[in-house]
Amino acid sequence: MLGNFGYIGIFLISALGFAIFMVLIPPILRRSGIVPKKPNPTKSSTYECGMETVGKSWVQFNFRYYFFALLFVIFDIQVVFLYPWAVAFKQLKLFGLLEMLAFFLILVVGFIYAWRKGVLEWK
Amino acid sequence: MNLYLLAPEISLCALALVVILLDLFIGRKWILGAVSIAGLIVPAAFTIALWGTNETSFNGMLVVDQFSLFFNLFFLVSTALVLLSSTEYASKFAAFRGEYYALVLLAAMGMMLMASTRELISIYIALELTGISLYALTGFLKDPKSSEAGLKYLLLGAVASAVLLYGMALVFGLTGTTHLEGIKAAISAEGLLASPALLMGIVLLVAGFGFKIATVPFQMWVPDVYEGAPTPITAYLSVASKAAGFAVILRVFYEALGPVSLDWSIIFAVLAAITMTLGNVVAIWQTNIKRMLGYSSIAQAGYLMIGLATVSALEPGAIGSSGPSALVFFLACYALTNLGAFIAIIAISNKIDSDEISDYSGMARRAPLLSLALALCLISLIGIPPTAGFMAKIYIFSAAVDYGLIWLVIVAVINTVISAYYYLRVIRVMFLGAPLSEERVPSSGALRAALSFACLGVLVLGIYPWVLLRIAEAAVRMFP
Repeated sequence: MLGNFGYIGIFLISALGFAIFMVLIPPILRRSGIVPKKPNPTKSSTYECGMETVGKSWVQFNFRYYFFALLFVIFDIQVVFLYPWAVAFKQLKLFGLLEMLAFFLILVVGFIYAWRKGVLEWK
Repeated sequence: MNLYLLAPEISLCALALVVILLDLFIGRKWILGAVSIAGLIVPAAFTIALWGTNETSFNGMLVVDQFSLFFNLFFLVSTALVLLSSTEYASKFAAFRGEYYALVLLAAMGMMLMASTRELISIYIALELTGISLYALTGFLKDPKSSEAGLKYLLLGAVASAVLLYGMALVFGLTGTTHLEGIKAAISAEGLLASPALLMGIVLLVAGFGFKIATVPFQMWVPDVYEGAPTPITAYLSVASKAAGFAVILRVFYEALGPVSLDWSIIFAVLAAITMTLGNVVAIWQTNIKRMLGYSSIAQAGYLMIGLATVSALEPGAIGSSGPSALVFFLACYALTNLGAFIAIIAISNKIDSDEISDYSGMARRAPLLSLALALCLISLIGIPPTAGFMAKIYIFSAAVDYGLIWLVIVAVINTVISAYYYLRVIRVMFLGAPLSEERVPSSGALRAALSFACLGVLVLGIYPWVLLRIAEAAVRMFP
């Protein structure tokens, strides 16, 4: 059993080796004189993907989005369960249908709760 | 797949949903408490009807045997007492009563599942169901102390869950299964010392479950959380949540890790000695009664762990499996005693609006019956006859002596003497101190009913413990 962890060790060593190798390429090329040194502002700036940010990232969001995110999670889970259920619907027969209905009922209780507590109103 | 086996849990879940819906559509909120308490009869009836069955379902994930049914009933009774004691207390958060009752019921459902699963992933899910409900309940008062307690409990609980999952992952990685029987079969083939990774996994499991039962060194959260949480929830944490942790430990360690019991029983013996000593010594300095009972519950966890260290699984088939049965009996006695103490504190503190021991001065003259009940429960916590605590200690100590753990029993007896100091101090303050005011301290009917049930139980078990002892022995019989 423990021997299987040997594969993980090989993965670990090769991953570390690869990372160190990639970091070492530029200085080796530079020292050996293959790459000439010609700096300019664009070249020596930090490399990042994507656009440069505009303005500060500390923007305040409306707190109500948080409730909608939570409600979204409820229906998201519902869909996650619906797909495999729909695929296996024929084999599951009536019992599967009843089981899914019970699951729906529990979720609907959560939805009714949110509704009655006024979460869906945008004041 | 036999759904009837799951009837207690399903009916409890339905009850929680009914409470949530009722909260939305009715105006008279006192009905919620009544429905939650009365509704507990349904799962209790299913549990009693199932008594005697020994079956597994859901591919061996769910197991219904005497052990799980005993704990089902245990959790239902303690939940009923906690709900009874919170009917009056709930006025502090009047707008959220429905959520409060529903969360208490869902936590009870999680605990019941914890005692009746035989598979690591299901154990984890049940543990989280209990945990998440209790995190929310701890912060229910919404004042700074309660919120701090809730946040602390959540953060430390999450870390403990991570540690537990890591332990489960290691055990799964080395045995190839999450089912407890499968783990047992895989372990008995190779010894524990031959595989350090498995030992690591078991130590991490002890750490993860140790958080639930609040053993040293995972006891840091107890005083702050116990002080900040609403008092009925403190009682719930100290009794039901702790018992659920012990139920899971018994299940996992006796069923899956039984073949290597010699290795882990010594871990529990050492932890028991440290836990009870630390709990008792630190409790001496406390001035807040909830904090004091928090440290006292740490010490009691230490006594309870003597039952875990006393493994009698050495000769298979031997009847003298007194370690686990003593542990289960101790849990029942401790639950009644501690719930009684907390109910008395709820009744008193609600009126004088303080948890400081010094404010209990002369309480015997302002509330004679409440003080007498609190004194009875504290005496039972020390372990003086004729109370349940005495019988529980006798039984668990004699089990340890039979097993040969004399040094642990000596440590426990010294600890009992230390504990007498701080328990008796509260009684002295109540009976000999001068009253701070002449105003009487009244209490509601629900509180009085719950308190008299607990006190009656403490006295009956102290004088006539045999019935419960037989049930406890029946409950752990299926452990090898």
